[in-house]
Amino acid sequence: MEALKGAIALIGYGLAAIGPGVGIGIIAGNAVQAMARQPEAAGMVRTTMFLGIAFTEALALIGFVLFFLA
Amino acid sequence: MEQLILATSECDLTQQTVCAPADVKELFEYRIPIIEIAGFPITRTFVLIILAGLIAVALMYFGLRRKRAVPGRFQTAIEGLVGFVKDEVAIGIIGPDGVKYFPYLLSLFMFILIANMFEITPFVNFPITSRMALPASLAALTWMIFIAAGFKRQGFRYVADIIWPPGVPTALKPLVGVIEFVSTFLVRPFSLAVRLFANMVAGHVMLTLLLTTAFVSIVTIGEIGITKGLFGFAWWLLGLAIFLFEIVVILLQAYIFTLLSAVYIETSINPAH
Repeated sequence: MEALKGAIALIGYGLAAIGPGVGIGIIAGNAVQAMARQPEAAGMVRTTMFLGIAFTEALALIGFVLFFLA
Repeated sequence: MEQLILATSECDLTQQTVCAPADVKELFEYRIPIIEIAGFPITRTFVLIILAGLIAVALMYFGLRRKRAVPGRFQTAIEGLVGFVKDEVAIGIIGPDGVKYFPYLLSLFMFILIANMFEITPFVNFPITSRMALPASLAALTWMIFIAAGFKRQGFRYVADIIWPPGVPTALKPLVGVIEFVSTFLVRPFSLAVRLFANMVAGHVMLTLLLTTAFVSIVTIGEIGITKGLFGFAWWLLGLAIFLFEIVVILLQAYIFTLLSAVYIETSINPAH
């Protein structure tokens, strides 16, 4: 079991990255769409996009930190 | 460079292709003091923290010391940075009240930017924000400021509205209240700190592994043969690509930390949301 710990943590990090990966893709894709439809709102959309990415990304990063802690 | 060499201590390129240190933790727990003053060890991190603060102050001082009507390049750059934080973050997010919090946000931005920049500075190669203590204390500062701002603006109602939210069906109020309380007072500072920390650690580890592997395999190319030597060259190119990518990450993380601090302050002084 002790020998498997690192491998399990690695798999855990991989699983933790799936959801945020999909989420960031959706956020960025929709932001590009919004900017293409309304270029004058690009600044506002970009700020909101970064906010959304930051919140979503946190889940993957917590997985990354847990990988080191495990 | 010392930090980089440290990771290669267990490296045997005849066995491995990538120089992964036996225990990655040694990348983060480098506690050997440079000098010890009265039993108080001065480490590299400590020196770099002081240096980052001094550089931030010096940039502001020399950039805006003599404001000219036709600004030079340096003054334009500093003014652009200050204007960006003021217009986009402080006033753009918080609104007219943001002017009051602008000095805090600007110092946060400058300090984190320079602290992160150490990651790609040659011969330093070490982002001090990849020590958990630093992002954690910055996040604790933001935490105290947004709670203080909330209490100052709304009084006790600030906490009351969070644990007993208005506009929610009564049956759901306890549940929503607990979730809101945990997410506002516990998850916010934690995720704020971990976001900066983990991004910088990830970049630092990537750069360390790629560049040390490249360094070691190019130096020992005589022993390991030309095929593996070419692998080292590939690692080096990839490392340089990651270097460029890290510049983007550095700017983005400094911006996001400041942006989220502003958003948190905004939610506690404008209860309508």
